[in-house]
Amino acid sequence: MKFLYQTLATILGCLLAQYFLPWWTMAIAAFGFGYFFRNKGTLSFLAGFVSVGALWLIMAYTIDKSTQSLLTDKINKLFPLNVFLLMVIVGGLVGGFAALTGALMNPKKVSKYY
Amino acid sequence: MKFKAFISLFVTIALVYALNRSWNFGKPIPPLGKFLDPFHGFWKNAVLTTAPVSSVKGLKKEVSIVYDSTLIPHIYASNEEDLFFAQGFITASHRLWQMELQTHAAAGRVSEILGATTVDFDRGQRRLGMVYGAQNSLDEMEKDPTLKLVAEKYSEGVNAYIQSLDYEKLPLEYKLLDYYPEPWNTLKSALLLKYMAKTLNIAEKDFEMTNALKLFGRETIELLYPDNEHVGDPIVDNPNGWKFKPITLGNESVLPEAFVQIKPMEKSAPDIGSNNWAVAGSKTATGAPMLCNDPHLELNLPSIWYIIHLSAPGINTMGASLPGAPAVISGFNDSIAWGETNAQRDLVDWYKIQFKDKTKNEYLSDGQWKATKKVIEKIAIKNKDAVYDTVIYTHHGPVTYDESYHGESEKNHYSFRWVAHDPSKELLAFYLLNKGKNYTDYLKAMDNYASPAQNFVFACTNGDIAMRIQGKYPVRRKDEGRFVLDGTKTSSEWQAFIPNDQNVMYKNPERGFVSSANQYPVDDTYPYYVMSNHFEAYRNRRINQRLNEMSKITPQDLMKLQADNYNLKAAESLPTWLSMLDFSKLNANEKIAYDKLKTWDFFNNIDSQGASYYEAWLRAIIPMIWDEIETAKVSLPDPTAYTTIKLIKEKPDLSFFDIISTPEKETATDVVRKSFSKSVINILKWKQDNLPAGQSGKKEPAWADFKDSYIQHLARLEPFSYHVKHGGNSSIVNAHNKRNGPSWRMVVSLEKSGVKAWGVYPGGQSGNPGSPFYNNMIDVWSTDRYFNLHFNTAADQMQKFSMTTQILKTVQ
Repeated sequence: MKFLYQTLATILGCLLAQYFLPWWTMAIAAFGFGYFFRNKGTLSFLAGFVSVGALWLIMAYTIDKSTQSLLTDKINKLFPLNVFLLMVIVGGLVGGFAALTGALMNPKKVSKYY
Repeated sequence: MKFKAFISLFVTIALVYALNRSWNFGKPIPPLGKFLDPFHGFWKNAVLTTAPVSSVKGLKKEVSIVYDSTLIPHIYASNEEDLFFAQGFITASHRLWQMELQTHAAAGRVSEILGATTVDFDRGQRRLGMVYGAQNSLDEMEKDPTLKLVAEKYSEGVNAYIQSLDYEKLPLEYKLLDYYPEPWNTLKSALLLKYMAKTLNIAEKDFEMTNALKLFGRETIELLYPDNEHVGDPIVDNPNGWKFKPITLGNESVLPEAFVQIKPMEKSAPDIGSNNWAVAGSKTATGAPMLCNDPHLELNLPSIWYIIHLSAPGINTMGASLPGAPAVISGFNDSIAWGETNAQRDLVDWYKIQFKDKTKNEYLSDGQWKATKKVIEKIAIKNKDAVYDTVIYTHHGPVTYDESYHGESEKNHYSFRWVAHDPSKELLAFYLLNKGKNYTDYLKAMDNYASPAQNFVFACTNGDIAMRIQGKYPVRRKDEGRFVLDGTKTSSEWQAFIPNDQNVMYKNPERGFVSSANQYPVDDTYPYYVMSNHFEAYRNRRINQRLNEMSKITPQDLMKLQADNYNLKAAESLPTWLSMLDFSKLNANEKIAYDKLKTWDFFNNIDSQGASYYEAWLRAIIPMIWDEIETAKVSLPDPTAYTTIKLIKEKPDLSFFDIISTPEKETATDVVRKSFSKSVINILKWKQDNLPAGQSGKKEPAWADFKDSYIQHLARLEPFSYHVKHGGNSSIVNAHNKRNGPSWRMVVSLEKSGVKAWGVYPGGQSGNPGSPFYNNMIDVWSTDRYFNLHFNTAADQMQKFSMTTQILKTVQ
């Protein structure tokens, strides 16, 4: 459940950040929610990856549809990989590692002796 | 745990860093994170519409822009200052990247964007004195208050657009190549015009001719490279009509006697040329004169031209503009129309310099040692340290070639004298044409035009038609400018210029039309020596033949003439060549080729196969004949196709027909036969290589496929470039070969009730590959159709054709 919450929150956070600010601010949002939700490392990574990947995919897909793939088709030929796939990997990795860092910075099990 | 967190943080930061910058692993890679981000990256460059309102600083009053359905802007301003501001703003908003790239190229600054591979090009531009010429022009322009204002307002408009950009709005190519535009300035507009001057006027073969003179001797060079091939009508045929006292110079120029050991940067391309003509009302269906222009240039995307309509009190003009320069270059207004073709005259000279010593601080001139000027050029290179190049200037101009640049010997220093280095104000000529009302205004505008020399065609609603071959021409002694010149004597330099009123021109000739297609400009009674790197021999004759035959001409007739595919070169050579073959000795494939050629109608249409067989033959025969030139140890000029074809007919025993790599002695007949066999083999190979995958048999060589025309994106990116199926070729009125062709086609009917005009170019108004207007004109152009330019479309009718309106609002 917490995975889902983290994912939804990250999508919203990244959307807000990126709407006004440069692309890498989504990493800060992903990091923040990773820290806040205290999911396990792998789960947090996954949440970050999926959030940014999905958000970017939806945005790009909307533009692509409304412009009849006019530019996407051309850019596709410039890269060895489909740009949608490449974009999801690029955005997902940054989001994932940022969320992972957040989770690792705020581990759930606090030492008894502290 | 903390250690893992630290590692993860490090990975995240490293990823962001790596994806936020560009890389070059043999191939440049854009900053992937930035570039692929759908909020600001390349996705945002896919646009179908134009912003309805833009608020800009620097306007006096609001400007409205109506875009028609081809994205041609019709700009309406309440004063000229706002009009040229808006021209800068609107042009930049569709073509900024191209404008900056071309001016960077002119200034020798491409390496800043593309890296170390273009350093040789950049050095060449600096060594040709491109910025030096542009600065001289700008200084002259700024002396004229109107011109200064026009150039400054245009520049302000471009800058207003640049200031409105953030990463999201940045043109696609900046995102791909990862850099930002720098502020625009008036020098860049001057540089752009020098770039055109270089494209059109730098062609020369002085070095090669010098070598040819030494190697072959005088008699042979007059045979191979005559100054005038005496073919067809000159542009202005006015025998004994030159009633002025010409300037005469005393001494003959001295011919050089040594080889030139340098590798010229590039052999001049004879494919750059153009057509223009105007027909008098006596020959047209409406009784109004008509004017046509199609400049032939390398075809690239974004296109070299941008169609624009500029309207304000005192000015109402439309036509093709050059992105980066104010005003309309080839166009029309309410009263007149004008267009240009290249005048081809040789206005480039090389002076052999004798330095005192290796320091090159002094050089010999009239027995005295004069001081040189040294300019240190810094060439910045992307991701690398800058390189420095010292360019030495003598009073002639920059020493382009020396041992550090394309020189093969320490003794080869040549100073470059080019008319485009001189102060001039071409923009004023265009500004005055834009506002011109009649023939007198046209002449006045022309007086301000210096370089690159052009054949300016003119027509007026009052019925006048005219042609003026305008430029700044040195008075030449016979042979002067054909070879390299002695830089140690001022007597070998340009002594005087032909006065403007003695330039070649005429008005309303009896034949009812004026025309030019880069041919020899004037009849033999013109009192000045005229020479060029190359005069065109075929297009002009076909155009004049057709214009002579035509009557009751309609705009459609002239559109058809611009698209005319008749191959006069083939018509004049092929029957002779075929008659020289020995039919009984041809093999099966050669017999097929023979039949295709024999039945060909000499039209290079899209599906003509004869055109392909002829072209293959031509490509085989020329190098086979001129093998002496190709294999020589020094650089030599190529004789023209016209001269080559003439020699085959008239001097079949000329020693050049011997193929030097074979023991026997060949004549023209042998070369014709051997090249025919070779061309048939080449066609067979082409048929195999171009067979579509999965098909068996052979693909027939239709002309458009064989020619394979290509319109290339300026950054040479394949997905942004297009292969085009189109007829025509070099030397044909529809002068479209593989890479060059009619870069703008315009037909204007100068009717008193309202000027009508049609135009098209192979590209689109938007320079953005993410816009449907990036390439939408290509298909219309390649099917020889035109767009109505809606210059005089009534306001209520215009609504049908207007797509969107943009308002430029002022903000303080």
